[in-house]
Amino acid sequence: MSRAPLIQRTAMPGLGLSAGITFFMLTLVVALPIGALLWQGANFGLSNIWATINRDRVWAALWLSFRLSFLAACFNLVFGVILAWVLVRYRFPGRRIIDAAVDLPFALPTAVAGIALTALYAPNGVLGGLTDQIGWQIAYTRWGIFLALVFVGLPFVTRTVQPVIEEIETEVEEASATLGASRSHTLRHVIAPMLMPAALTGFALSLARAVGEYGSVIFIAGNIPLRTEIAPLLIVIQLEEYNYDAAGAIGLAMLAISFTMLLFINLIQIWSRKRIGHV
Amino acid sequence: MTLFRLIPLACLTLASAAQAQTTLLNVSYDPTRELYREVNEAFAAHWAEQGHEAPGIETSHGGSGAQARSVIDGLAAQVVTLALASDIDQIATTGKLPTDWQSKLPHNSSPYTSTIVFLVRDTNPKGIADWGDLTAEGVEVITPNPKTSGGARWNYLAAWAWAEANDRDPAEFVGQLFANVPVLDTGARGATTTFAQRGIGDVLLAWENEAYLALAELGEDQFDIVVPSLSILAEPPVALVEGNIADDAQRELATAYLDYLYTPEGQALAFKHYYRAWDASAADPEDVARFPDLDLVGIDDLGGWAKLQPEHFGDGGIFDQIYVAP
Repeated sequence: MSRAPLIQRTAMPGLGLSAGITFFMLTLVVALPIGALLWQGANFGLSNIWATINRDRVWAALWLSFRLSFLAACFNLVFGVILAWVLVRYRFPGRRIIDAAVDLPFALPTAVAGIALTALYAPNGVLGGLTDQIGWQIAYTRWGIFLALVFVGLPFVTRTVQPVIEEIETEVEEASATLGASRSHTLRHVIAPMLMPAALTGFALSLARAVGEYGSVIFIAGNIPLRTEIAPLLIVIQLEEYNYDAAGAIGLAMLAISFTMLLFINLIQIWSRKRIGHV
Repeated sequence: MTLFRLIPLACLTLASAAQAQTTLLNVSYDPTRELYREVNEAFAAHWAEQGHEAPGIETSHGGSGAQARSVIDGLAAQVVTLALASDIDQIATTGKLPTDWQSKLPHNSSPYTSTIVFLVRDTNPKGIADWGDLTAEGVEVITPNPKTSGGARWNYLAAWAWAEANDRDPAEFVGQLFANVPVLDTGARGATTTFAQRGIGDVLLAWENEAYLALAELGEDQFDIVVPSLSILAEPPVALVEGNIADDAQRELATAYLDYLYTPEGQALAFKHYYRAWDASAADPEDVARFPDLDLVGIDDLGGWAKLQPEHFGDGGIFDQIYVAP
């Protein structure tokens, strides 16, 4: 058998043009900015980068950002899938309005979302006032950050899972039931594997979005060093000091951690796709 | 004509329309919105009166440091009016304006000054009278983060100056003060919102003009202004950015714009917007009389920005050490 050519010819014309446009755009909007960040880091030097990152305050911020982003993405994974399921499978009044409202976190400027959430959950806000009575403060604590991250990440899971659920015919569940499977067995062994790849994609997107989120979190976080200071704020602080190198170093650290996490999620995804048969 | 031809044409038309008049971009900081809105109008009228064509003046507002970075990165501002001399110094390091820019205009290039005062809840329930009361147990202080807000650097330095004058260890004092801060907003307006709208904290450290503005907009029955025994003389300076001047007409306009700030009319507007200006001859006497007397410490008495900026607010500086031991 001869080796397959590097680019497979197809009957569809326009490969050269479309690939050219794609690579050009990708270079312009993705590769160049990330390249500039790496270049900045390369000029700064590995030991300097490490010295910048290896401080209590930076570790605290990174740990806070990634931990809360992960928890928010987990929360969104569960509730995003349930929301998508409800929107596809049930008919109830107001369904279309709720369906449209899911996209609002995409459309709303994040600062608006942050201010609105703060106004609601501050100790003198409508909901914050209630929780305050039981001694549970939300705004200006880690709970507030978590809430903002859930808000910005929710549509990712719902919108990636929704089309997949639409594809699943109710016959599949019925067939499973006639073959003697219980409800929970059908859910675990028939439905869940089919949803898994899309749900993981949504999870990864939600996580990635939360890690980089600045606009909405900054209003509700409190921003106290070591306690409620997120990593993107540290980058902004370094920029305010005209310290581009240190800002780049923290940016690189976030990039590296995010990349590792996304790679790991992709590996799980490949594994789960293989397991259910269609790669 | 196809859409593809129309778009460049539209761009060209817009560009040429903009070039017909002399334009000016003033890059300023956050709390000056109201001031420059009025200054721009008054100056445009004044400029037209002298037989010039009506100028196109635009003002952009934002955090002082972020605004300075935009100019460094290429925003073509002919005039900068920022919160801190050190931000303009930073622009000067790129060569866009001479390093001795601050000596070009009177009063350290500061046509108006301000100071830092306290805004407290109505009737002052915690009995806050001076800086020393801010470190008491149970008092919550709201101030933005000095790392991200120019105004907050004045807050911090005012506290420092008071501690020095009262024989307290200044580093320890500001440490105790910031231990009482439950929320560190990134900008002055954000801190005002946290204090006034969210009801967090007992006292807000604010620009004097912001404090008066908050009183005027949010109701005098909700807050009181407390003037401490000593505060800092905050000089928000202005400068002409040589490197961004396109031609002589623009230079003339920009120079006249900055000079206008020093005229009795310009000064009257500054007084009106709660800034302490220098020349009260054309100002409404009521606008001038509302400023209480207090001891004001100048930035040079503390050592000047070139020394203070890295020492206090640099990476690992005294402010950072409040939160993380070196």
